[in-house]
Amino acid sequence: MALLRLVLPLLLLAALWEGAVALLQISPFYLPPLRQVLGAIWALGPAYAQAFMVTLGEAVAGFVVGGLVGVVSATAFHHQRWLRDMLFPLFVASQTVPVIAFGAIVVLWFGNTLLAKAAIAFYLTFFPVTVNALAGFEAVDPRQVALLRSFGASRRDIWWKLLLPSALPRIFTALRLSAGLALAGAIVGEWFGASIGVGAMLLAALFNEQVVAMWAAILTAAAVGGAIFGVVALVEARLVFWRDEL
Amino acid sequence: MTDAADQLDQLLTVGEAPAARAKLQLNGVSRRFGAVQALAKVDLGIAEGEFVTLIGPSGCGKSTLFNIVAGLLEADTGGEVLLDGAATSLLGKVAFMPQRDLLLPWRNVLDNAILAAEVEGRPKRAARETARAMAADFGLKGFEDHYPQQLSGGMRQRVALMRTFMFDRDLMLLDEPFGALDALTRAMMQRWLLDIWSRYRRTILFITHDIDEAIFLGDRVVVMSARPGSIKLERRVELPRPRDPALLTTPAFNAIKRELLDAVEEESMKTFAAGAA
Ligand SMILES: Nc1ncnc2c1ncn2[C@@H]1O[C@H](COP(=O)(O)OP(=O)(O)OP(=O)(O)O)[C@@H](O)[C@H]1O
Ligand SMILES: [Mg+2]
Repeated sequence: MALLRLVLPLLLLAALWEGAVALLQISPFYLPPLRQVLGAIWALGPAYAQAFMVTLGEAVAGFVVGGLVGVVSATAFHHQRWLRDMLFPLFVASQTVPVIAFGAIVVLWFGNTLLAKAAIAFYLTFFPVTVNALAGFEAVDPRQVALLRSFGASRRDIWWKLLLPSALPRIFTALRLSAGLALAGAIVGEWFGASIGVGAMLLAALFNEQVVAMWAAILTAAAVGGAIFGVVALVEARLVFWRDEL
Repeated sequence: MTDAADQLDQLLTVGEAPAARAKLQLNGVSRRFGAVQALAKVDLGIAEGEFVTLIGPSGCGKSTLFNIVAGLLEADTGGEVLLDGAATSLLGKVAFMPQRDLLLPWRNVLDNAILAAEVEGRPKRAARETARAMAADFGLKGFEDHYPQQLSGGMRQRVALMRTFMFDRDLMLLDEPFGALDALTRAMMQRWLLDIWSRYRRTILFITHDIDEAIFLGDRVVVMSARPGSIKLERRVELPRPRDPALLTTPAFNAIKRELLDAVEEESMKTFAAGAA
């Protein structure tokens, strides 16, 4: 049933694509038929699979570390007002640096490595998570905290049993948003001279005006984004099952 | 010391000890929030195993008093709070049930009930077993795995009460546990609480706005004055236990009620006048 809900829109989109191209006689330069794009992926299966895995690895590494750093920073900011007053403005300022500029610097530092791409994905991920986790912690009912304290709970107990679970809905909202951002970060990272990965493929296709290859790269990128998003949504459904019922 | 004096001394000691054995003793407890004097010199003693009900106009400082006894708020200097005769840190020593049920939506009934036990470091499985065994007593049999969102208001309160009972402390503070319930559910819950209390035998301090409830439940009713809150009146309720609803229409009940109504009304008028001024 859940599978159907996932597959049905995809099929619908595919049909729309094929139908539009055929009916409106769209030039392949603007939008090649889906069959052709899938055919290209099929023909070079291993290459696309490799690009998928490489970009996924970069994005996930940055995403996971970004998520963790986000939650940890939010925890620190929540408990230590001075830390928040001191560091939060820096967090905000960091986000005003355009990701392209940040990417250039990172690649300059770390070269064409997985670390460089993960760092860019991280850069786009940690901020929304920090902001949302902090908002989640701050929104906890102080009476609830008082109740736990009356049981003799330590700060750590309060964090595990109350603050973190309460903030999870907001943290996951940020994570879903960050799934796409982490992918964008990884792709931007690849644009500075990487030879494998979805971003590298995209750029190569663009330079060579291979429209079909470009769309194939775009589909692969969508698959990477969809994979991360899907896992996040699955974990969220397990952990935050109580959200809709609030 | 002469023999006679010695004997007298012993008599006095024996005669006094059990009565003076207060579970909780408040001496001159005050609390100010900025310009607002919430509590002014509250003196109150509660004996072991006693069920004391506390009534008073809204905003007179009842919840503040509870927060102090639960160790969540400091009393202003000068007052003292003695638990079992000692002025110790109160956090973790008193089973406190706040005005709202404050159940956690991601925990089912059993897991909400064992929250305090878990914080104390009791193994989850053992705590769950205890809770499962208690569920029937609290009218929650068959609902152990339900989530708070799936429960009625009365059931949610019972889960909160069970959580409070599972936090195994001699002194329980219940802040208007039935305030949000409809009259019928409320009457049922009152009888049920008395039943539970007679079985689990704890010392209970119970806040309510309802005079009938205060008399029906309590060994003693304490009336607080309008803000700044202090003890205006204490009235022992000599009605026999176990009590049943027929009691509410007896002359003895009504006599106590009249007495308390006068006091409460006088204080409520003061609050009202202060609000209008
Ligand atoms: N943390 C606080 N900061 C400032 N003022 C407070 C605080 N807590 C309580 N007060 C004030 O102290 C007074 C007593 O409040 P409290 O909640 O103890 O009243 P209450 O008797 O429990 O009222 P109710 O019957 O409505 O529950 C009120 O005027 C309230 O505004
Ligand atoms: Mg109150």
